[in-house]
Amino acid sequence: MHAFESIQLFGSGMAQLAFPTEMSSSVLAPYLFVSAAMFCIGLIGFLTRKNMIIMFLCTELMFQAAGLALIAFGRQHLGSDGQTFVIFVLCVAAAEAAMALALVVLLFRHRESLSASAWKELNG
Amino acid sequence: MEQIISPIALYLICALGAGGIALALPRRSGSKAFEYGGGLLVAVALGGAALALGLRASDAGNPMPNLFFYPFAIIGIGASVRMITHKRPVYSALYFIMTIIASCGMYILLSAEFMAFALIIIYAGAILITYLFVIMLATQAPTGDGDDDLDDVDAVAREPMLASAIGFVLIGLITAAMFGGIGELPEPKLTQAQAADSVLAHLPKKVDKILDREGLLEDGWRVSRDHETGLAMIDVDARTIQIELVEGDSVSATRTLGAQDWPEALAADNIDRLGFNLMNDHPVMIELAGIILLMAMLGATVLARKHTELEEALKAAQARKLGTMFHDDEPQATGGQA
Repeated sequence: MHAFESIQLFGSGMAQLAFPTEMSSSVLAPYLFVSAAMFCIGLIGFLTRKNMIIMFLCTELMFQAAGLALIAFGRQHLGSDGQTFVIFVLCVAAAEAAMALALVVLLFRHRESLSASAWKELNG
Repeated sequence: MEQIISPIALYLICALGAGGIALALPRRSGSKAFEYGGGLLVAVALGGAALALGLRASDAGNPMPNLFFYPFAIIGIGASVRMITHKRPVYSALYFIMTIIASCGMYILLSAEFMAFALIIIYAGAILITYLFVIMLATQAPTGDGDDDLDDVDAVAREPMLASAIGFVLIGLITAAMFGGIGELPEPKLTQAQAADSVLAHLPKKVDKILDREGLLEDGWRVSRDHETGLAMIDVDARTIQIELVEGDSVSATRTLGAQDWPEALAADNIDRLGFNLMNDHPVMIELAGIILLMAMLGATVLARKHTELEEALKAAQARKLGTMFHDDEPQATGGQA
């Protein structure tokens, strides 16, 4: 029955979804778990991978996880602030991608390598 | 509310996932078996997490998330694991797009439809394509399909065990702390109807349009506006709407529509509420976002510019050519200067 109802809800278009009802915290919890898991996977990737492009991709994954948590909490409070903040997270992510990729291209030109350890002497 | 997931199950799941990722991270010596084994462990951990969360919720009779949450969550986490473990950067970027699309599904379940589509357009459409271009620009093309010809940069991970352990200790701690405090979250300040419709008073033209479409307004009638603020005179709690007849510049009659006339379609949707919140509550942040984007654009242009060094002889020839173009009548003098 539960499955059928949710399929109906998903299939009946956005109209029903436009009026959010109050959400129990037992529904909120799984979203937060997914968000935490995605964040930490991004962190592991950032720590382990040597390719600078992949490292920046992992920071994007962490942004994404933070955005999911913001939207889930915003839904819990029935407000729009969470979604507004995700817009700003998107802005920062876009700015970060532009800068980071320009830096990567610059560094790649100098050493002909994407490895972060090619710049080992920077660690002082 | 009691614990949402039992701590022992949580830590067991974290340990399994950590082992799986540590196995699956790229390494030189291992065969494909490591990757498959790691993937299997992560899958078991994910299944265990879904099971533990579901069992707890149904035990206590609490509502569970929409059934579509589970495939989206599993695809999202699975694709992000594959993203950090794949040896080839292009595949990593493509798996990240998969993660984005899965989390867009979750956004829709959380009734944030606008953000879901904006995320697909901006992230998957713009940012990730830039990443793909840079990957293709900055990576030497591998000569074959095997992993042996890959550079050490992509084929070897740095400290996989330690990093996975740290990451999953963090997952365990965050989740335990979050789930412990989740029952003490304050109730939403607005009721459901207020949250959905509190914006309506600010949108008199939208209200006019909907009432007109529903056939509730005769010719010349419209929703009453407050004289000073210009807000529509709608009582969201009592579900009443005041309407007025306008002749020329003056109001000649007013009437109140009762709760029985409140049309189904009269509601602020996601975009109304989001746009109102953005423009009304955070105007300065829009300016700041604009400045950040402008600075990033300038910075990226300056950083990625190519410094071309021309040889001295070439420079002299160019200068001489320009000189003769501008001073056709005295070629001797410009030639001498160059």
